[in-house]
Amino acid sequence: MSADFTVVGKPLKRVDSIARATGRITYGVDMKLPGMLHGKILRSEYPHARILHIDYDSALRLPGVKAVVTGADDPGGRFGSRMADQAMMAHEKVRYIGEPMAAVAAVDEETAEEALSLISVEYEPLPAVFDPCEAMKPGAPIIHERMHEYKYWEGWCNPRPGTNIINALVLRKGDVERGFAEAAVVVENTYRTHAIQHVSMEPHACVVQAEADGRVTVWSCTQAPYLLRGSLAAALRIPSSKVRVIATAVGGGYGGKVRLKLEGPAALLSMKTGRPVKMVHTRTEEFIGAVTRHPSVIRMKTGARRDGTLLACRAEVILDTGAYCEAGEVVLWEVVQATPGPYVVPNVWVDGYCVYTNRVSAGPCRGFGWPQVTWASEGQIDALARELKMDSLEIRLKNAFDEGSISASGEVLHSVGFKECLQRVAEAVDWHGRERRPGHGIGLIGFTKMSMPQTASAAFVKLNEDGRIGLMTSAVDLGQGISTALAQIAAEEIGVTLEDIEVAAADTDTTPFDSGAISSRQTFHVGNAVKRAGADLKQQVLAAAATMLEARAEDLEIRQGRVSVRGVPDKSVTLAQIGTATQIRLGQPILGRGAHLDDDIVMPDMATGQSPKPAPYWKYAAQAVEVEVDSETGKVVVQKMVSAHDCGRAINPLSIEGQVQGGAVMGLGFALMEEMIFDEGRVVNPNLMDYRVPTSTDFPDVEAIIVEAPHRDGPFGAKGVGETSTIGAAAAVRSAIADAVEVIINDLPITCEKVLDAIEAQGKEKGLSGS
Amino acid sequence: MKYPITLRVNDESFELLVEARKPLLHVLRDDLNLTGARRGCESGYCGACTVLLDGQPAHSCSVLAVTAAGKEITTIEGLARDGQLHPLQEAFISEGGIQCGYCSPGFILTAKALLDAEPQPDSSTVREWLKGNICRCTGYAKIVSAVLNAAEKMRAGEGR
Repeated sequence: MSADFTVVGKPLKRVDSIARATGRITYGVDMKLPGMLHGKILRSEYPHARILHIDYDSALRLPGVKAVVTGADDPGGRFGSRMADQAMMAHEKVRYIGEPMAAVAAVDEETAEEALSLISVEYEPLPAVFDPCEAMKPGAPIIHERMHEYKYWEGWCNPRPGTNIINALVLRKGDVERGFAEAAVVVENTYRTHAIQHVSMEPHACVVQAEADGRVTVWSCTQAPYLLRGSLAAALRIPSSKVRVIATAVGGGYGGKVRLKLEGPAALLSMKTGRPVKMVHTRTEEFIGAVTRHPSVIRMKTGARRDGTLLACRAEVILDTGAYCEAGEVVLWEVVQATPGPYVVPNVWVDGYCVYTNRVSAGPCRGFGWPQVTWASEGQIDALARELKMDSLEIRLKNAFDEGSISASGEVLHSVGFKECLQRVAEAVDWHGRERRPGHGIGLIGFTKMSMPQTASAAFVKLNEDGRIGLMTSAVDLGQGISTALAQIAAEEIGVTLEDIEVAAADTDTTPFDSGAISSRQTFHVGNAVKRAGADLKQQVLAAAATMLEARAEDLEIRQGRVSVRGVPDKSVTLAQIGTATQIRLGQPILGRGAHLDDDIVMPDMATGQSPKPAPYWKYAAQAVEVEVDSETGKVVVQKMVSAHDCGRAINPLSIEGQVQGGAVMGLGFALMEEMIFDEGRVVNPNLMDYRVPTSTDFPDVEAIIVEAPHRDGPFGAKGVGETSTIGAAAAVRSAIADAVEVIINDLPITCEKVLDAIEAQGKEKGLSGS
Repeated sequence: MKYPITLRVNDESFELLVEARKPLLHVLRDDLNLTGARRGCESGYCGACTVLLDGQPAHSCSVLAVTAAGKEITTIEGLARDGQLHPLQEAFISEGGIQCGYCSPGFILTAKALLDAEPQPDSSTVREWLKGNICRCTGYAKIVSAVLNAAEKMRAGEGR
């Protein structure tokens, strides 16, 4: 499929792989500056309390302590994603156990840690609420009394001041009650999902240097340098260009390193001391003070005709965002657009709520709400298939989005590789010829995810005097391989090799604007910007070569680092000659520029959620899982997993396989192993012994299938895949368990106890009905 | 209380004065600037800090530096020789076994100990050996194939 390309579509080695393989790459935790101090944070011990007094005199007297800051030192600017509800340090009150209240800078980490124990805080405990459904009820403790003062983006947020509902959104299509009336079968269920932690192997880390001239320089393992810059500037109440964010290498992000965290307290401490301050989360702080996946409660009612045609879907989606939004408002906005899943449903009614509770905030987490709604929507399709005694692949194929399908929000869809994904995973598990025996089952499900709208990317490419190309963007390589993919796109567009491209790291002083490594957007958005910048550079190169060769630009071509007159190969100049001439002799350095804006987006109507184009693009995928269930212990062993993804065009198939496999295993962890357990807002398992993530012996190799339905707006047809890979695993495992032992688990995670209880309950039911 | 010790790291000797309670990980990172040993959980569960002590993998966060005196310590920085990557490093790159790379040094060093002990492991042996190291990016498939691929190349006499 990629035969026409020379660089794109090839499984090339990563441009940064030697640095990573030899350990010689600098992550956030590795940063060191002369005179650097180490900071530590004092965190709230209460889930909801007024701060009456913080006494840190004795901490300041400890030798080696250089400064203490509290909310009183915070200039008070609020920041957020589309809803600015958060301050760097708690002001007046705390809203979760783990919220920063004070921070210490000292000569080393141990001294800073010791100083924390010398700070005393007087609290006045307030009633707290931990369950999102309880938090929505009248009379619940109000977590943000000043919600009405918060600034937010129109079209994204519909807050309800005086309640804990920070965003309430709807989707309305057709007449849902009539749809149910016409349906031959209607199924209704409640689905619950839990909090997990990202568990990036590198914890959050940064060094912040407040400069003498009022500028603030930040080295951070952030996923989104420009978003961090904007948030920190808003929080400090200074112009954003006074903040310089330099991206370090990132040791895993998965959404957890998008938002401003340690950089705030570190900036306040650096301002107070005039010295660079480094801060690194402990693993415990990753659990209690970073972000989690949004727990959810989803009620869904779905109706279909006798032949399986979907008629109506009514859903209530409640997302628990914890103490602050941290993009929860956007998570809700996204999933409300396609709650019923990637299927044609003529009548839809969705009510979505994003709700505050008194626990550590939920935030962006690989999949961004879609694992939650997919857990519900695919459960409904399975339930309908059971009621109708239909094959669960057949009912999906019957209703699946296809070219020209109309979505629930009224969009006419294009570049839809969904059916092929379903068919390819079915083939891979021999769906129709599969072995059937008790205790063994296969689940096969499908899903979608949008890439969030209203983001932007820009790129610069420059021609160096040696003829090589410098690529400057603010994309962040979290390990997904975006640096390589962008270099491939640039090389393909310009007509050079991958080795001719040097990729610069993001630095907000020099690399252009980008919304960051979020929403699986970089291949599509930054890729488009790079492709356009490459085309711009190429045009400038040809113009310069035309002057040098005394030829017409349209007669020239670039091949292997040389510009020649088409058909006259010996009439040529090298890119090095052009680079040298333009920079030094002609004084017209060649800099190509490009950008990608989502300029065709129509924000959904707030009353109906309808929009002909709510998202830059949609991703489609299908996954199948084969399990063995031990009916005596409830243990579920995954024997095979296949994951097919429509990535538009695979820029680098090796990287895409890696994304698909890694995301699938993260999804299996979400399904079967991982759970943050809370007791009155306190995380009781904030360590890697009590919170188990998958290791090499837990799951089999995942088979990755790449489906290419080129997207008309993507660079060479490409779209992103990084987050989609995680979404479906839990739903696929549930289907496989149902296939194996005929029990349905709608409450994540799927533990041995739940499976065993369900098997026993089913046994009793069968016993009763048999008697 | 600080103790004078000599650490042998990557065939070099370092005279150091270290606190008795200081983990080897912090001495490597803070005093010797060998940051390839990573700070992951600092409690011995994630394997990001893995180094070799006399050829055996150890979580350097859970080893006191003073007890590592007299042992041959190998960190990821000591694996490439004369500008030549170790076959495991080559294989991790070519097979796509590295994504963010944070855990990679720990995996590569653990795999080296495995291949030194057992040059022809099967994939379940590889998985068993690597289960003390967490990778959150790859899902392990490409790491396992990288180790098997390196083993094959090393048996064929390519590289060490």
